[in-house]
Amino acid sequence: MAGAKNHDYHILDPDIWPLVGSVSALTFTSGMVLFMHEMSGGHLVLGLGIAGLIATFFGWFSKIVMEAQRGDHTPVVQLHMRYGMILFIASEVMFFVGWFWSWFDFALFPAPLVYDSASGLWSNIVGQSGEQAARVFPHEGIHVLDPFDLPLLNTLILLCSGTTVTWAHHSLIHGDREGLKKGLWATIALGVLFSCIQAYEYSHATFGFGGNAYSSAFYMATGFHGFHVIVGTIFLAVCLRRAYLGHFTPRQHFGFEAAAWYWHFVDVVWLFLFVSVYVWGGWGAPIH
Amino acid sequence: PVVAQGAESAAAPVEATVAASVEAAAPAADAAAPADAAAVEAPAFDHFGADMIIGQPEARGVTFQSQHSPNGQYALWMHDAILMPIITVITLFVLGLLLWVIVRYNKRRNPVASKTSHNTLIEVVWTVIPVIILLVIAVPSIRLLAKQYEAPPENAITIKANGYQWYWGYEYPDHGGFEVISNMMPEADAVAQGLPPLLEVDNRMVVPVGVPIRLQTFGADVIHAFGIPSLWFKMDAVPGRINEKMLVIEQPGIYYGQCMELCGARHGYMPIAIEARTPEDFEAWVLSKGGTLPGTEVAAEAAPAPSAGPAPAPAA
Amino acid sequence: MATTAEGFDAHHDTHAHDHADHKPSFFKRWFMSTNHKDIGTMYLIFAIFAGIIGGAISGLMRWELAEPGLQIMGQVVEFLGGEGTFDQQGHMWNVLITAHGLIMVFFMVMPAMIGGFGNWFVPLMIGAPDMAFPRMNNISFWLTVAGFMSLMFSAFVPGGTGMGAGVGWTVYAPLSTTGSVGPAVDFAIFSLHLAGAGSILGATNFITTIFNMRAPGMTLHKMPLFVWSVLVTAFLLLLALPVLAAAITMLLTDRNFGTTFFDPAGGGDPILYQHLFWFFGHPEVYIMILPGFGMISQIVATFSKKPVFGYLGMAYAMVAIGVVGFIVWAHHMYTVGLDVNTKMYFTAATMVIAVPTGIKIFSWIATMWGGSIEFKSPMVWAMGFIFLFTVGGVTGVVLANGGIDDNLHDTYYVVAHFHYVLSLGAVTSMFAGWYYWFPKMFGRMHSEFLSHLHFWVFFVGVNLIFFPMHFLGRQGMARRYPDYTPAYTYWNEIASYGYIIMAASIGIFFINIIYAFTAGKKAAANYWGEGATTLEWSLSSPPPFHQFETLPVIEDHHTADDHISAAPARA
Ligand code: HEA
Ligand code: HEA
Ligand code: CUA
Ligand SMILES: [Cu+2]
Repeated sequence: MAGAKNHDYHILDPDIWPLVGSVSALTFTSGMVLFMHEMSGGHLVLGLGIAGLIATFFGWFSKIVMEAQRGDHTPVVQLHMRYGMILFIASEVMFFVGWFWSWFDFALFPAPLVYDSASGLWSNIVGQSGEQAARVFPHEGIHVLDPFDLPLLNTLILLCSGTTVTWAHHSLIHGDREGLKKGLWATIALGVLFSCIQAYEYSHATFGFGGNAYSSAFYMATGFHGFHVIVGTIFLAVCLRRAYLGHFTPRQHFGFEAAAWYWHFVDVVWLFLFVSVYVWGGWGAPIH
Repeated sequence: PVVAQGAESAAAPVEATVAASVEAAAPAADAAAPADAAAVEAPAFDHFGADMIIGQPEARGVTFQSQHSPNGQYALWMHDAILMPIITVITLFVLGLLLWVIVRYNKRRNPVASKTSHNTLIEVVWTVIPVIILLVIAVPSIRLLAKQYEAPPENAITIKANGYQWYWGYEYPDHGGFEVISNMMPEADAVAQGLPPLLEVDNRMVVPVGVPIRLQTFGADVIHAFGIPSLWFKMDAVPGRINEKMLVIEQPGIYYGQCMELCGARHGYMPIAIEARTPEDFEAWVLSKGGTLPGTEVAAEAAPAPSAGPAPAPAA
Repeated sequence: MATTAEGFDAHHDTHAHDHADHKPSFFKRWFMSTNHKDIGTMYLIFAIFAGIIGGAISGLMRWELAEPGLQIMGQVVEFLGGEGTFDQQGHMWNVLITAHGLIMVFFMVMPAMIGGFGNWFVPLMIGAPDMAFPRMNNISFWLTVAGFMSLMFSAFVPGGTGMGAGVGWTVYAPLSTTGSVGPAVDFAIFSLHLAGAGSILGATNFITTIFNMRAPGMTLHKMPLFVWSVLVTAFLLLLALPVLAAAITMLLTDRNFGTTFFDPAGGGDPILYQHLFWFFGHPEVYIMILPGFGMISQIVATFSKKPVFGYLGMAYAMVAIGVVGFIVWAHHMYTVGLDVNTKMYFTAATMVIAVPTGIKIFSWIATMWGGSIEFKSPMVWAMGFIFLFTVGGVTGVVLANGGIDDNLHDTYYVVAHFHYVLSLGAVTSMFAGWYYWFPKMFGRMHSEFLSHLHFWVFFVGVNLIFFPMHFLGRQGMARRYPDYTPAYTYWNEIASYGYIIMAASIGIFFINIIYAFTAGKKAAANYWGEGATTLEWSLSSPPPFHQFETLPVIEDHHTADDHISAAPARA
């Protein structure tokens, strides 16, 4: 938009992606409902929605990258992005507060539950108080994962990835593009490794996904974290690709910084998960 | 055991009893010949009629229902003597100020606006005075809460109100553990008997008067709430937990309440009717339901009672 | 302080007119918008549309409640294709109140206040050319529309006892999990996900805009109070909505994937849902009122021709309301079986909010005090707001007492309370803002006569609807009932008559809009005159498609209420 614009803000041209993105989001959620209720067309609608969302993310972020390369991101616009990213992460933190809240609710105020190994069913003792109610958490019959086995390894992996992403950042700041690429490769590799270990561990856990409060809270909290790891890994991969394309300068590389912030956030969430879910939450329970 | 209650138990085993007993003064004992084995042997019981209704809404009523529990009276006092005057005065004060500025500071009376935009003193005043008002409210408020949470004495009678979609079941663990299923009385029947439609039930929750009751609530499927306006009593009936609170009813009579938590299609149609009787009448009613009196049949009691051991006979 | 916007305006026009008013083609302009004013307009249109639907539903509700017995639920069910059995009728009631509550909260008040007025006037008031993230602004809007459509879908699929989601706007488990089989509740949950995502993105956008795009010289302490109000609101949205997102995601997995967060049979806890919901829900009620507070501050100052009294106190009172609003949530849960200490804490904490709110009420009055008040339509609405909100606020203080709430919880007293702060509070402030800014947004003057008439008819109508509900509540009438015992007839009938009067006032509202667009005078830049001093009054009505292409500068000696004489910087 040409004209006598006497400021550094970013005035954008009209854009179709917001509309496409919303339609895709609605298609996705509607597809989810159809799918969950095994209604006809579920897979199709869900697939369309996911495709639309992916297309939106791709199209939208490509535009942002293009605008960045074009020089639309003046210092003040970069500052906007910093604020935007910080606020987005703040909202993500609150999202995890919800999951931790449920975890601590179950752990600190456990409802009396018994496991009947004959029928394989959990049942609730209601109307009992006192000793019977003084159940421990995790529920009887649950064999928790040993926190100092793979989860500890995963902790180390994530901590390590935090340093490699910093390595990448330092290289970038000092104009060392090879270092940037190496650091990013290492971080992405560690991220993928984390996800694989997590998947391996899920598939070997003795407790299933649902059925009781322990495994519900466990899988949803760690699962959402895992999802964020995957998103963060993709984010870093995009940065790596951009690094190969010669994007980012030592002075302007907010796309990279945002990915790094996100990665650190994911890392910190894991530390909380590790301490409160794996170590504290499973304390005293039989280990698988 | 509790959770197992199926919806079939709503089937009217004792419907005839109520219909018969409310009919008139004549205790049509043989009209109450239900299929229910326990009731056959049991003596018939005469329920209160419309003249004994105490706790019910009054047409065009603007204030609370009259209160018939000690806590209810305290709460009502707190509302009427403290909260209502305070909020009325505050509202009228704000209204008065608004009217005053309308009259005094309109463009015609006051063509030139002042420029005042600060006055520390007045700002402190309108911060501190509300704080004081709130402290005045807080004192009786906290006291009321403490009263409402007084633990029932050892010998209190335990009654458990189970909320089902969409009716109530009243269990008497101290009296043999029978459960009375209470459905809304069909509107036409209620009207015919001069009882309030949508509030009257087929089987009332009968309780002794003047005796501390340990009232427990429990939700069998979704959350319901046991609410009796004239006793200032409301407690949610939540699946997976038992809520408990003491209730003392001061006067014999009928007290109506309703389910007060959204629980599905017939949330509006699962009323509560408490019939408070003298302890002697209450015992007679228990026997008419095939229950037992505490102390007479200690062994039968062990099963679902959370309260320890056989409770001594209540004040009767 | 004397204002002639012309000087600034003239400069603006000659300097920037040709390109600043260059508008994209129709499709691009309205479906691909990146312009805060167009997006604001779309939000307002959407909110009015949703208000009609939510208001029409409440009309059905008042019709049903006009007398005891079931009047029209049967027809409603049959209209939507059901058989109209007794249970389906009861369920339909629950569907209607759920839709009414959700529509009014998420698709009427929030889009109008934050999306509509916020989008339009935050950039204008801080002297910014647009929002910080114009493209994201647009997806916030379309996600709101998507959420609304998801809620509409839910009405036409099975939800347990009948079609639609009959779980209340609070969506309590286990009624919303094991208690409602069928896809309807899932559609309703996703509706909240979509609208919530839109709101979180919007909140990010507002915070960034307000922190980063204030005109040179406009410090935080010089921002107009409306901007302050949106800033605090945006923080509440940002921090509260994600917790709701987690809670309703748990509902979803409990419903469909076998988790047992809220199912006691698996060790879950139905009360956990309520904690999570109200941790969001209570801040939500302030989200719905704070922008209203902001608008009222602007209006009262404008028509008293005085700066806002106690500006800093006003700004920080809103911050205090926002902060304390996060630690009072369990006052909605007094009867769930909290222990006594918890209940005492929440009683005390809740009452604290009356203090900053009182500061606002009294500061508005002090602003008028000594003023030279002109009773133009926005001012009349604003004064109505102050009174009606006070009525709603003080009944909130009654409910705050845990021991008193034992009787009033889930009765019509609560319904009366929250309609006084919402339907008579938030909505009244919206109409005040509407009449204040309508000519600015659309370039045409409305009829002052019709606006006043609208106010008085509305005022009588809504008071007739909702004041008697206090009586019903004290008499014990429960919420969410389609039917009642005859003792409650009298006041219900009056409430339903009140609805007709209120509906007439909405008719006047629309006639006024039609009048303005067909016969309204062209609006000048500053049609309210000397009292209107914030930056939007320095622009033409409507403002150019892109305003402030040269940023205005706020000079040191100007105060928060005195921006307009600022000289534009020449870069
Ligand atoms: C805009 C929305 C809004 C606002 C602003 C408020 C404001 C307040 N609300 Fe309200 N409330 C709702 C919307 C709102 N509420 C809704 C929607 C529900 C029901 C949800 C549901 O269940 O569906 C609800 C329910 C609700 C409950 C639960 C009732 C129940 O379910 O049993 C309680 C209990 O404490 C409560 C309290 C308060 C208080 C103390 C305030 C305070 O902020 C009010 C403060 C204002 C004043 C007090 C007036 C002005 C002050 C003065 C003039 C100073 C002097 C005054 C004194 C010293 C007292 N509200
Ligand atoms: C903002 C919120 C809001 C608003 C405005 C209203 C408005 C109205 N409400 Fe609503 N109501 C709720 C929020 C609201 N309500 C909630 C949350 C519940 C609880 C639901 C539950 O239990 O789950 C409820 C429940 C509720 C009940 C109780 C149902 C029950 O418990 O069984 C009743 C009963 O009469 C009722 C009636 C009405 C009526 C007659 C109006 C009328 O005032 C409606 C008239 C319409 C308007 C005043 C809106 C007009 C606005 C516009 C046209 C837009 C203008 C736009 C701009 C200016 C930009 N409502
Ligand atoms: Cu049971 Cu409402
Ligand atoms: Cu609240």
